[in-house]
Amino acid sequence: MTPLAWTPFLDPIPVWANAVWPWLLVPLVAAVSIVYKSIKCRSMREVPREATVIAVWIVLGMIAAAIVLAGVVKALEW
Amino acid sequence: MREPKPLMASPPVVAVVSWLVPGAGYWLIGQRGRALATGLTIVVLFILGLLVGGVRLIEVPGWGDHGQKLVAFAEDRGTDNQGRRVVSERVVESGTSPESDGIWVMQKHPLDEVRNKPWSIAQILAGPIDIAASAASIAASHDGPDGRPIAARSHSHTNELGVLYTAVAGMLNLLVILDATHRAVRLSSAEDK
Repeated sequence: MTPLAWTPFLDPIPVWANAVWPWLLVPLVAAVSIVYKSIKCRSMREVPREATVIAVWIVLGMIAAAIVLAGVVKALEW
Repeated sequence: MREPKPLMASPPVVAVVSWLVPGAGYWLIGQRGRALATGLTIVVLFILGLLVGGVRLIEVPGWGDHGQKLVAFAEDRGTDNQGRRVVSERVVESGTSPESDGIWVMQKHPLDEVRNKPWSIAQILAGPIDIAASAASIAASHDGPDGRPIAARSHSHTNELGVLYTAVAGMLNLLVILDATHRAVRLSSAEDK
């Protein structure tokens, strides 16, 4: 029996609260942005800036989509 | 800064090497910065996925929940109301029931089995790291000394996000394979001229 409550790679990460798990989307967005811009940019010097910009746009887009969908759900419930 | 001299690798070699080690195809054609940025990102994303959902989020086609091979066999279900014999196929994990000496599902109907675990298609694109994770998933599915599987299976958001991380890592590696191969084609055709 391990003294740790969570054994990395064997147990899933103990994140259940709705306020916490959406933050796990941030590393995913960062990875997609870095790889996408590494492919698109002619010079690798442009990648940090370009990847940051597109990552921010993706997060803003997801927030906007969440607000719109929440509005639709509220309207249907009303 | 001195430009690294590209090795003249053929496009098929670049494609295969890109799958074996994410980003290594760019390295072969001399684009080392691109190789490190893409390769490290893909590998880290895949490992983060395993960390979030646990290694058992990798569902391996042909293997069951207890780390045993899935086998298919014909089950005699008696006769219908017109006296015809009814035989249906049953899939179980080998060693879990007396009749479980059937044919491995990956030999009998591999496409159906892969279709049952569609994320495995995206995950395998991440390269041999997925094969290693699949082996670890099978090993961790076996029952431990307490009669329960060695590793827990994730559910809900942790499973969804873990699967998403590993599958997106595979899909990003597909993009990298295609781009590195395309660049290798352009380099080799420019060299021919």
